Amino acid sequence: MSTSTLTLAGTRTTERLGAVLVAAFLGLGLVFMAGFAPSMTLHNAAHDFRHAQNFPCH
Amino acid sequence: MIIRLLSAALVAGFLAAVVATGLQLTLTSPLILAAERYETQASHEAPTSLVVRVHAHGDGHSATVQADTAWEPAPGFQRMAFTGLATLVGGVGYALLLGAVLLACGREPTVETSLGFAVAGFLAVSLAPALGLPPELPGMPAAPLETRQMWWVMTALATAVGLYLIAIRRVPITILGGLVLIVAPHLAGAPDTDHTASALPAGYAAQFAARSLGIAFVFWAVIGLAFAYAWSTFGRGRPEVARG
Repeated sequence: MSTSTLTLAGTRTTERLGAVLVAAFLGLGLVFMAGFAPSMTLHNAAHDFRHAQNFPCH
Repeated sequence: MIIRLLSAALVAGFLAAVVATGLQLTLTSPLILAAERYETQASHEAPTSLVVRVHAHGDGHSATVQADTAWEPAPGFQRMAFTGLATLVGGVGYALLLGAVLLACGREPTVETSLGFAVAGFLAVSLAPALGLPPELPGMPAAPLETRQMWWVMTALATAVGLYLIAIRRVPITILGGLVLIVAPHLAGAPDTDHTASALPAGYAAQFAARSLGIAFVFWAVIGLAFAYAWSTFGRGRPEVARG
């Protein structure tokens, strides 16, 4: 009983850590792409969003 | 849990992007277009524009310079569509970060916690950086881009960690440390905002700054509320023990 509870808790912690890492990595990547990417094409496409959301632009 | 988190972030980012795109197109984009008219005018006028032009070339980011070198969306629908797309990418990105932070702090994303963390997100990435680098319209002279981006990222990080120390850890020593972290970037000082006069009417700049922060708040609030809603929707029907 207690072993299975512990295993379950362990699995949940690992699962949670994995989800946190994947989401953080993807989230940072997307925010970087929309707000900071130095590529001129991406900058021009996201131009009005960057200004409106106060990402440093120009 | 990964699937549930990613799905909830997608839904939250999408809903927030729909609301924020509507607000941006009606409230901020017209001001950006108006400012660009002054920007182009200034860079085409004779003696005074020489300064503006040299300045713009120095930064390498004048709109007129870009037009010659890189793709940009066509005016009108295409530009609006790309603004919407960028808002979607940014919204999903913020929603993923919100979900990651909620789970990392061991909080179940209920409406209260999710909205609370979203407001903290607004404070960290919108309000705190805006105190040193006010939202600016195209054509407003500013410090070099890299310096501003650096200060923006440092301030957002310091504020986020500071809020964590104050609101989650919540003992006297961490509260003190959190306050120091939140105040430090402003004491160190943001890159100088240029105070030289420009042809752009000050009213536009003031309206833009206020609207920009208002939209950012709504953006974050919708991300928070929608994330909690989507998280509970995608978790429905799961056995209690597998929840969270």
